[in-house]
Amino acid sequence: MAARGHVQDPNDRRLRPIYDYLDNGNNKMAIQQADKLLKKHKDLHCAKVLKAIGLQRTGKQDEAFSLAQEVATLEPTDDNSLQALTILYREMHRPELVTKLYEAAVKKVPLSEEYHSHLFMAYARVGEYKKMQQAGMALYKTVPKNPYYFWSVMSLVMQAISAQDEKLAQTMFLPLAERMVEKMVKEEKIEAEAEVQLYFMILERLGKYVEALDMVRGPLGEKLTSELQSRENKCMMMYQRLQLWPECNALSYKLLLKNPDEWQFYLSYFDSLFHLMDKSWSPPNEEEHCVEGPVHTTVAEAVKFVVDRMEEEDKKDSRPLRGPYMACLELIHRLRQRGCPDEEELGDPLELMLQFFGKFGDKPCCITDLKIYLHLLPPEQHTQFENRLGELVPLGEVGEDGFGFPGDTKALQRHLCVCQLSRVLGLQHTLDTEGKLCLITELKAHYHYGLQFGKSCLKTELQFSDTYCLMVAHVYIDLWTETGDENMLWQCLGVLEEGLSYSPSNAQFKLLLLLLFCRLGAFQPVVDLYSSLDAKHVQHDTIGYLLTRYAGSLGQFAAASQSYNFSLRFFHSNQKDTSEYIIQAYKYGAFEKIPEFIAFRTRLNQSLHFAQVRTERMLLDLYTEADMELTEEHRRLSLEEESVWLKVRSLTLRLLASLALLGHAPSKRNSDKTNENGVSAKSSTLQTLLSQLDLTLQTAAQITEKQTQYPFLGPPSSRLASALSSGSCHCQASALQLSLTLQELETTGLDDSSELQTQICNSFKSLIVQLQELLSRCKGDVLEMKDSRLMTQPSLLETLVFFVETVCVVLWVASYSASVLRPLKSSLQKKKKKKTKDSSTAMPVVLSGFQEWTGSLQGIVTQALDHVKGQEASLTALKLAALTLGVGHAQTQEECGFTRAAMDKVQTSYLGSLQELGDLLRKRADSLKSLKF
Amino acid sequence: MTTLRAFTFNFDICYNNYGIPFYLQYLAHWPEYFIVAEAPGGELMGYIMGKAEGSVAREEWHGHVTALSVAPEFRRLGLAAKLMEMLEEISERKGGFFVDLFVRVSNQVAVNMYKQLGYSVYRTVIEYYSASNGEPDEDAYDMRKALSRDTERKSIIPIPHPVRPEDIE
Repeated sequence: MAARGHVQDPNDRRLRPIYDYLDNGNNKMAIQQADKLLKKHKDLHCAKVLKAIGLQRTGKQDEAFSLAQEVATLEPTDDNSLQALTILYREMHRPELVTKLYEAAVKKVPLSEEYHSHLFMAYARVGEYKKMQQAGMALYKTVPKNPYYFWSVMSLVMQAISAQDEKLAQTMFLPLAERMVEKMVKEEKIEAEAEVQLYFMILERLGKYVEALDMVRGPLGEKLTSELQSRENKCMMMYQRLQLWPECNALSYKLLLKNPDEWQFYLSYFDSLFHLMDKSWSPPNEEEHCVEGPVHTTVAEAVKFVVDRMEEEDKKDSRPLRGPYMACLELIHRLRQRGCPDEEELGDPLELMLQFFGKFGDKPCCITDLKIYLHLLPPEQHTQFENRLGELVPLGEVGEDGFGFPGDTKALQRHLCVCQLSRVLGLQHTLDTEGKLCLITELKAHYHYGLQFGKSCLKTELQFSDTYCLMVAHVYIDLWTETGDENMLWQCLGVLEEGLSYSPSNAQFKLLLLLLFCRLGAFQPVVDLYSSLDAKHVQHDTIGYLLTRYAGSLGQFAAASQSYNFSLRFFHSNQKDTSEYIIQAYKYGAFEKIPEFIAFRTRLNQSLHFAQVRTERMLLDLYTEADMELTEEHRRLSLEEESVWLKVRSLTLRLLASLALLGHAPSKRNSDKTNENGVSAKSSTLQTLLSQLDLTLQTAAQITEKQTQYPFLGPPSSRLASALSSGSCHCQASALQLSLTLQELETTGLDDSSELQTQICNSFKSLIVQLQELLSRCKGDVLEMKDSRLMTQPSLLETLVFFVETVCVVLWVASYSASVLRPLKSSLQKKKKKKTKDSSTAMPVVLSGFQEWTGSLQGIVTQALDHVKGQEASLTALKLAALTLGVGHAQTQEECGFTRAAMDKVQTSYLGSLQELGDLLRKRADSLKSLKF
Repeated sequence: MTTLRAFTFNFDICYNNYGIPFYLQYLAHWPEYFIVAEAPGGELMGYIMGKAEGSVAREEWHGHVTALSVAPEFRRLGLAAKLMEMLEEISERKGGFFVDLFVRVSNQVAVNMYKQLGYSVYRTVIEYYSASNGEPDEDAYDMRKALSRDTERKSIIPIPHPVRPEDIE
């Protein structure tokens, strides 16, 4: 046994139990064990670091850090300590310290491949590209392995990508990277495919397309084997960049013969064809057109090519491909764009689309395919098209209700496709109210009939007829927005709830419900829906922002903070994850992915934009409507609005924070004159922030003047407009402004400040008036029954939240006021005692004014609480069961049940919001009591 | 009809089933095995993700299908078959002996599809899948298809006894 080559380090054995405790999450025991060990072995640094990890994980960050620094300053070179410190620093989110650690280790052990490589990775984690380049080279000089050399090259490319100055990238970083690779090429040292890919990346970024093309076509290109068609794709890219249309055309043609379903090559085939025609290109000689083979230069050739492809498909016994038929429509579209008369040779678009429907109508994708080319049909053909499509749908005998139904899922899918097309063509929108209600009846009948085909579906599967249900919901929304009849909205909610009961994993139902509940201001069901959506990862960003928009504004503070936490955790963990995988990409030579990873990380970091764009897309995907166009203008305005709102909020937050800071250091203000500098520095921060807030509010006012109306499925408008119109922004700003005046009083004192005092007292009074006005805007019923109809006013709830928020801000300022006034008062009393004889000293105006103010604030809060209580009482008293539903429309008992369930949810949610608001107000009211003196 | 392209790490990720780290790991290591299919309207139709692993010496070097996903509205178009064909081709080029994948034994639709594509059950892995609470949930079939390098098709001779997840490599 003794002859065993590898002898275990005794320290490893000693440390093992600590590692185990840490692994099992038993941090306390780990700390104890480390202490024990350190008593015996004072110099066992790693034990210290492991103890620090234990401390860090039990929330003792400061202790952990100083312990770690004890070891770090010794510049350890043992693996255990280094690795443990790396883990610790990572958990502390201090990756930059890891670089210091290995910089020292590399100095002490300059020949260690391992430490050099750790150093490189440590730099990669913090994105120090320049140092990565050097570390990579140092590594290569220590151990001449190709990957190390190319790490260095890639780090140059990253410097180019991240350079602020594009010129620097083009004249320095990239040419240097190119020369480094060329050197290896000349010495015939290129080994791996990754190295060739990196070379290509460099040439491409340098705009050296000819060189890139030669390289890919040459011997180096032979290494590009992992990715399918890697060489062809890269050549194609270069042909397009170089506008080598003959080659582009010939290669597309070749690839399409091989695979007539590859859409991207149809596009490049057509693009190149028309470019060649515009240039009246002709082949240099008859035999060979270009290196890639024969080139098409006439419409006739293209028409024949496409027609041949379709005929090939027609002849096939197996499933036909969609590509050639779509290519035919695409070619017509392009010819028409050019005003070229030859499109007739391909046929009538109407007939071609009918043919397409005949072949693929039973596939759900038929609608997304045809949608792109509907513009080829003139409006007067739309109805004809719909009717002809209808003829191709096999439906059963017409029953008592006047409808015929499909006999199987294929027929159902065809029927659905026709319904969807008619919506996309706008035919449903032209119907009047009666027509739309009839349409709803028909779609509902189909929906219910179709459910029989999905009886054996698993819970995770969608029902075949779900789309009917979704369409019903959208027609209801049309009716609601057109007529304002809230009944339509309730029925819409009902039908979606019903759909969800049969198809519990349908995300489109959930998203639409989520949106509607949000608009109704009923946040509780939204939370359930969101969690049942099982939103993952990026979706926290893309859908989550809807939650964060509404949760807070509807008084569901607990839910709001939960959803903020979700999102924050997602952003934080991704910050870390992305860095780890950037490092992995270096290790495996996936150089092309590195810029993508980094771009992704940047994107997450700038997420306001990301979130919005994605949400809009996702909501748009819910359903595409002919008349719903979310324009670029809408996107821009929405982003602008959200950004300004964000600015208002963050300024308010910073103002409150600096107030808190001022309030906490009250003791020194009288005695310590030297502190004045500090105070004035703080007050100037306050001033700067206040003037920024003022400016932002001005911008905000300009934006809201435009009164942008977003489409229903577009982004929700931000809270900005209502925050401004309710007066809450203005009231908060004037409260914060008051704190500045109070600061002035603090330095002036009570004796020579009568003007200032009057000014403060006026502000007190004006704030009361503003709050009173804000509160009066909250009056009314959020939910009420009128003529056996249920009506909502969610905006009242939002205003109430603004009121509560504003009360909170005012109370912050009030407690700051108290902290300023209290010492002034007590020094006054001291003076009084000294001059007991002089009884003429009246109470200063500002003190009596403050007393009066807190009294009025108390009064307003009590009023608000009464209002909340009253609303709670009237909500509880509402008996939804008394509503007669389905008046005028044939709603079954079951359908009424679902509608009622939706109403219940709204009612319960409103109650929940009111309770939370009431609780918050009560707590704040308590804090008021402590302000009196 | 489809545009098949390499997975780019941006909006594509929004249709995910797994966590971001999982995708990053695959993209960093086997980018060529990550292929996305896109419809002419720009909709994401589906994707495949895989890797190459195993010992060459023991003739176990192979391609593995980690995830194959086709959006509901693009099913029954032969897209899964096309993506599988591409993954097999990549594995061929890498000199793999076979391609393998795991599938829930209850997922008859998928099992049948893989059989049609030339895969056969190599072995059963007991309790390979676990529920979200960590409890064992279901067994998996380990299905394989021999590639041209395995001329005698040795790699796909079924193992009669089921194995446990910890016993597979």
